[in-house]
Amino acid sequence: MTAYHHHAGSDPKSSSDSNIASDIALRVKAIEALLIEKGIVDPAALDTIIETYETKVGPHIGARIVAKAWVDSEFKQRLLADGTSAIAELGLTGFSSEHMIVVENTSEIHNLIVCTLCSCYPWAILGLPPTWYKSFAYRSRAVIEPRVVLKEFGLEIPENVEVRVWDSTSDLRYLVLPERPEGTEGLSEEELAKLVTRNAMIGAAKVDLTTVPSEVSQ
Amino acid sequence: MAIETSNECMSAEAARAILDNGLNCRVNCDIPPQFQVGELVRAKVTHPKTYTRLPRYVRGKVGNIMKDYGVYVFPDTVGQRLSTKPQHVYSVRFAAQEVWGKEASANDALYVDLFDDHLEKV
Repeated sequence: MTAYHHHAGSDPKSSSDSNIASDIALRVKAIEALLIEKGIVDPAALDTIIETYETKVGPHIGARIVAKAWVDSEFKQRLLADGTSAIAELGLTGFSSEHMIVVENTSEIHNLIVCTLCSCYPWAILGLPPTWYKSFAYRSRAVIEPRVVLKEFGLEIPENVEVRVWDSTSDLRYLVLPERPEGTEGLSEEELAKLVTRNAMIGAAKVDLTTVPSEVSQ
Repeated sequence: MAIETSNECMSAEAARAILDNGLNCRVNCDIPPQFQVGELVRAKVTHPKTYTRLPRYVRGKVGNIMKDYGVYVFPDTVGQRLSTKPQHVYSVRFAAQEVWGKEASANDALYVDLFDDHLEKV
């Protein structure tokens, strides 16, 4: 199967407007076919990239980092002091996660990540960004009214808690270290990792015991 | 000096290597920083027609240098294939009220990564 087919069939549920989606899909298909025909793009390289993000890279990688930080306080300190090196200890670096900053949510500070300029995101750690993260609405509203945005995600931040919005304007990428929920003292690192959702690592959710592990909604 | 861009078709092996190892944007050189941690800075008021990583919403606003992240290539010139122009990147904290006015929460803040060329002394 060529990359051509992968793209043509890419995630129809990711858009609420099927006309727009099919326009884009058609355009991508046409450009891709041209690039391959002219020898500018090697379909094998495209397949490698698509397969990586479809089957290997995703939020489960970030969840491993978070769970380790929850159980290993020395790792957590290294992670917050130098995210790049601490994540490299686990061998989890990769494209668009070369320079990592990890920010910790606490009872006093809530961190939220955005990229107002485009959609910069730690791909090797969280996979490809969700559609909402790339939307104009999120990118503009996250900086001007983060509390309202968080409320729409179901998260009410008390007025005495500082909301910090991190705009990914350089080549550094951000990961939120969520608070470890109460009642998880007896869980293993692997069990903890299953609770950590993608949205929690962007700062758009908290981790709780009722979290559905296979968060797939876009 | 202009940056040369290869016209060679990327192989699957090259794609694999980039996915696994990433692309390093950091530059190992001891270019002195223009600003120090703790210093107040103003984001420049400038409206380049070309690519920039300086968001409009902080232009002219005063923030505080929280951290010096080190030296990186400068996307504003790399994006035009002009030069790498390595310089320091800082985490700059802007109070939400400095950027958005009194309607914003007094507790909240924006942390924006800005380069030496984006900033001036207050």
